[in-house]
Amino acid sequence: MRSIKRVLHVAVNDLRIMVGDKVFFFWSLAFPVLFIVLFGLLYKTSDKAPDVAELAVVNLDQGRWGAYFVKKIETPGIAVTVTDKEPAEYSRLIILPPDFSAKIEARRSQALAFKKRENASSRAAARVETRLYQAIARTISELILYGEGDLTKFLDGHPEFRDLVVVKGEFPADTVTVVPSGFDHSIPGTTIQFIMMMVLIYGGVTVMEDRKKGVLGRMLFSPLSTGELFRAKLLGRWLMGLLQALMLFVVGAIFFKLNLGSVPLALLVIAVFALAMAALSIFVGSLCTKEDMIIGLSVLLANTFAALGGCWWPNEIVPPAVRAVARISPAYWAMDALHQLRFFQGRFADIVVQVGVLAGLAAVLTAVAGKAFRIRE
Amino acid sequence: MRRLLLILGNDVRRHLKAPWAIIIFIIIPLVMTGLIGIIFAPRTEGNELPPIPVLLVDNDKGLASKLIVSSFDVDQMKKMFQVTVTDEADGRKRMAKGKASAMVVIPNGFTLDLLEAKPVTLLVVKNPSEQFLPDVVEEFMNTMAVMLSGAIQAFSEEVKGIRAMLDLKLDAIPWETLGPEFGKAQKKVVAASKYLNPLLIGLKEEETKAAGARPQVTASDLFSSILPGMAIMFLLFIVQTLMRDILSDREDGKLRRMMTTPLRPLELIGARLTGGWIMGLAVLLVMVAFGTLAFRVAWGPLGSFLLLAAVAAFWTAAFFALFHALVRNRNQAGAIGAPIILAFSMFGGSMIPPEGMPKAFKAVGIMTPNRWFIDGAALVREGRFPIASLIVLFASGLVLLALAVPALRRRTSV
Repeated sequence: MRSIKRVLHVAVNDLRIMVGDKVFFFWSLAFPVLFIVLFGLLYKTSDKAPDVAELAVVNLDQGRWGAYFVKKIETPGIAVTVTDKEPAEYSRLIILPPDFSAKIEARRSQALAFKKRENASSRAAARVETRLYQAIARTISELILYGEGDLTKFLDGHPEFRDLVVVKGEFPADTVTVVPSGFDHSIPGTTIQFIMMMVLIYGGVTVMEDRKKGVLGRMLFSPLSTGELFRAKLLGRWLMGLLQALMLFVVGAIFFKLNLGSVPLALLVIAVFALAMAALSIFVGSLCTKEDMIIGLSVLLANTFAALGGCWWPNEIVPPAVRAVARISPAYWAMDALHQLRFFQGRFADIVVQVGVLAGLAAVLTAVAGKAFRIRE
Repeated sequence: MRRLLLILGNDVRRHLKAPWAIIIFIIIPLVMTGLIGIIFAPRTEGNELPPIPVLLVDNDKGLASKLIVSSFDVDQMKKMFQVTVTDEADGRKRMAKGKASAMVVIPNGFTLDLLEAKPVTLLVVKNPSEQFLPDVVEEFMNTMAVMLSGAIQAFSEEVKGIRAMLDLKLDAIPWETLGPEFGKAQKKVVAASKYLNPLLIGLKEEETKAAGARPQVTASDLFSSILPGMAIMFLLFIVQTLMRDILSDREDGKLRRMMTTPLRPLELIGARLTGGWIMGLAVLLVMVAFGTLAFRVAWGPLGSFLLLAAVAAFWTAAFFALFHALVRNRNQAGAIGAPIILAFSMFGGSMIPPEGMPKAFKAVGIMTPNRWFIDGAALVREGRFPIASLIVLFASGLVLLALAVPALRRRTSV
């Protein structure tokens, strides 16, 4: 009991010193919030193509089919602008050539030039392209239905296309009912990344400095044992990670309507993840003798883990080989668990593997850090 | 001048003796560039996305549903989709765990309803944790739906015949009347093939040089656009580390001892500034060399790029000279320096391309060296001379230098 008290005393004191540093709030709160806003807005614009995708149609057709084909393209999701010459600025553009009608009426094939502007939404472009193919399919179906007749008279009267098959999209039962916002993606990702960065840098540098300045050695003059000192340092860094996550989640809930799914389970994931990072920070701080090296190593590890783990971009767009490699990143398991909770309304059984992997990693890193932990240079 | 060079040479030797921090800071941008490049590089097969895992549930097992199932079996579709045929219960279980991007459910009675020209619905269950891939599946199914609707309508008479035959016993089918019907169908098939092979109306995505048109982006282009941003970000970190000597000399008492020698403060300041500039430029060139070798990054005309790199390194050295003249100690420098660099990098486009940023972020970005360096590097890559970047970086660097020198002189006097 006394041992626990001593460990707690040192850990809480460590935390107090770190929190007392004004820059702590920049790193733990201000900068991550900037990240959240930026990535949240980026997710928002990239995950959701503009409500109305633009399409410029340069209709040079000298017959009636051009206008008819444009009507086939039109749909509430696409803003079609018809012009007679190529505009200087456009997001995407299709050209109906002068002989568009003539070729259709002669039943001769043709390929329409479809141009996409660099940096315009690729999802909007995909939507337009799909719609174009659908318009082509509709037109060809009507032509087949029309038969061998004279196509110059087609537009005077012909059977209309009907959508017999429709597609209905939905989410799995008991998951989400609305598409999660960009912030639902960016807040967990940023939290995980900054826990890694903060705990590794702060935790590592302070362990190294305490050792170099002889603070650790002097602490052993108190009734603390080396084991207790190690546990206290571990606990202090773990509490720092937890505190940071709590701050970001509270800010997320207040300002960005963050929904974590199950809050206690999300905190469990963060707790196990932060423990692994706390152990890693002591390991790094015990091995390195220079602040710059700890900072460099921490930035390298945190950024690589974050990129691999899906903190910056959705894992779905990552090539399968990189996705397989991503499993070496602790951030991957934490993000996967948080996704299960948020997007699939997961319960404990759904995240037991991820939490298990993180707990195993925390145990291994704690053992390794314990071995490497040094009191003196 | 000789004394300045002696200090400079000594500084360089000292930093080369303990190079690990600098090496790590050189490695980081290269690793990040490699990672981002690998993930976002255009695939050689012309498919920009990885294969999309799709679960396919065929509750109908009829003619029309088999048509849908087989449409996923075409070579081009096989590259695009990774299809697993399963039953609905298993599919829903897997979707509830996010094991696929989407599940397509073909309902029971799909074929019969279609043959009777009744409206039918295909269900696409989408993975809620994914943002792009489920929509690709949904759009693909939408196109399939249009094609199926078209086929059913184009062959409506034949479809009615098939539907009627399905209700008849084999011996009740009037085989002798089917001949002419088959003949009509054959005519339609022949007519249809005229429209479909080759496609009467196709699309051609042009690699056009028209204004605003999209050129084909290669992996090398991608690396070339990422690395300058990363390089300037970590150049800032490295020069900050190198120029921290200004503070550590004062804190460790070395400055006091140096000033007892026939060394003038201006020589020392000059050595530190030149050291930051030259070592910064050297580090930048190391990154450039590695980028060129590892990622085939194209930098454009070497002369223009070297000039830009030299001016960027000068700006960085001048900035950190002023910075270290203003902060009280190493702890404060470490605490404030890194946030400033990260803010520069975030707003300046080192972390996210400026074109993807909100307007307010872009406006702030203009005040960062990152933005001017990145824009300048892009211009050099296009073969243009980055005059605006050079002027802005050099002029603001001179202002910083003009502020830094007197401030450092005050701090150097003992």
